Amino acid sequence: MRYAYFPGCSLSSSGYDYHLSLKYVTQALGIDLVEVKDWVCCGASSAHATSHLLSIALPVLNLSHAEKDGFDKLIAPCLACLSRFKAANVELEHDANLKKKIHQVFDYRYRGKVKVYHPLEVFLEMGIEKIREKIRKKLMGLKVACYYGCVLTRPPKVCRFDNVEDPQSMDSIVRTLGAETIDWSFKTECCGVSMTLTRSDMVLKLSNDILREAKEAGANAITVACPLCQANLDGRQRQIEETYKTRYGIPILYFTQLMGLAFGAYPKEVGIQKLMTSPREVLGSLGLM
Amino acid sequence: MTVVFSKENLKLSGDLQAITGENVMLCYQCKKCTLGCPSAYAMRMKPHELMRAAQLGLAEEIYWSGTIWICLSCETCNTRCPQDINILRIIDGLREMSKEFEYYNPYPAIPALHRIFMAFVKRFGKVYELGLALLINLRMLTPFKDIDMASPMLLKGKLKPLPHRSHGAKELRRVMARIRALEGAK
Repeated sequence: MRYAYFPGCSLSSSGYDYHLSLKYVTQALGIDLVEVKDWVCCGASSAHATSHLLSIALPVLNLSHAEKDGFDKLIAPCLACLSRFKAANVELEHDANLKKKIHQVFDYRYRGKVKVYHPLEVFLEMGIEKIREKIRKKLMGLKVACYYGCVLTRPPKVCRFDNVEDPQSMDSIVRTLGAETIDWSFKTECCGVSMTLTRSDMVLKLSNDILREAKEAGANAITVACPLCQANLDGRQRQIEETYKTRYGIPILYFTQLMGLAFGAYPKEVGIQKLMTSPREVLGSLGLM
Repeated sequence: MTVVFSKENLKLSGDLQAITGENVMLCYQCKKCTLGCPSAYAMRMKPHELMRAAQLGLAEEIYWSGTIWICLSCETCNTRCPQDINILRIIDGLREMSKEFEYYNPYPAIPALHRIFMAFVKRFGKVYELGLALLINLRMLTPFKDIDMASPMLLKGKLKPLPHRSHGAKELRRVMARIRALEGAK
């Protein structure tokens, strides 16, 4: 299976471990990722705060490249990119006026034929059985809180994936790997990432709520599906502990890193050494590392 | 507060509908947006109050509160609105309109971040995370903020010291120029 791959700005720097683990896992599952040629930033939260047309044009520019190269499926692992891409496709489908404007901006006429996926959607579409076949080492003893983040399922009209308030896709994959997943109510709360540089106080509060809930529900690890959630929950965890005078020490892993470990990867191959809150204690005590 | 209602008050809702296609008059104040909003605690004007203010045409009050910049764009309000109003789209419309006139903004750093972000995208085709953090910290007069987080990230190679340039940047600039021309023309 061949997919166009849109890594986005984060996966080439702060989320490089996500990129590594995703590559490892897709290779193991026989999925071929081909990076979109000459891709540019999706605009994230900044484009749609300045110009609606621009916020649609940036994804269309990338989708056109994929379409021209003959792809009809595209993987966007970062939620900010994913939601911008999906929104562009849906809005072009429903808004003739917008479509006209987009055609005025581009020489190439994007036909809207590239479907956009998150890796979770791709893995579930392949079937849990395929994943089960690849497991070499069961992740027994790990209690995982699956954190989906804000825009993986929201708004449902655009995302068309999983249950909007209580998603299960990541849970079912993590359970297949042999780990236990916990029930908790903060699966789709926002970590506050668009404010991470300007109102860090809000990010610390929102991320603290997420970490506290996961800890109270009994998790010893959190899995995420977005490099921005990861940067907040992992990168800022020490600041959160200092601000709220508490201690979490919860490792924040990408779900692809857990899959890689279960598939028998060396920790280094899936970028475990890049995590700020070391999972060595948790994974080591369970004999997983 | 007493609001004397006149035809002029309808201007804001009309403008918003023209830009966003959303009708603020559909809101009947059930407050589901505010109850689900993760950043409502930090807003001087809560999302449902913003909707009411938009119905009444209180543009100045909306901008003074700074609520449109505190919104995290997490899409919870859109998902839960029983009237199916795209509240984030309305907030984005207000953000777009804010460029056109002067008003007091209690949180000037947030739109400044968006401008710096887009300037990097325009220049390199990609975001330069370290540069973005440095520039916005200078802008906020807190140059050493988050240095405790950035230095280990640099050591682990999670932050790249230099920007990457996309080969698509040139094409991107052409697209941006055309959009500016199109938006200026209307």
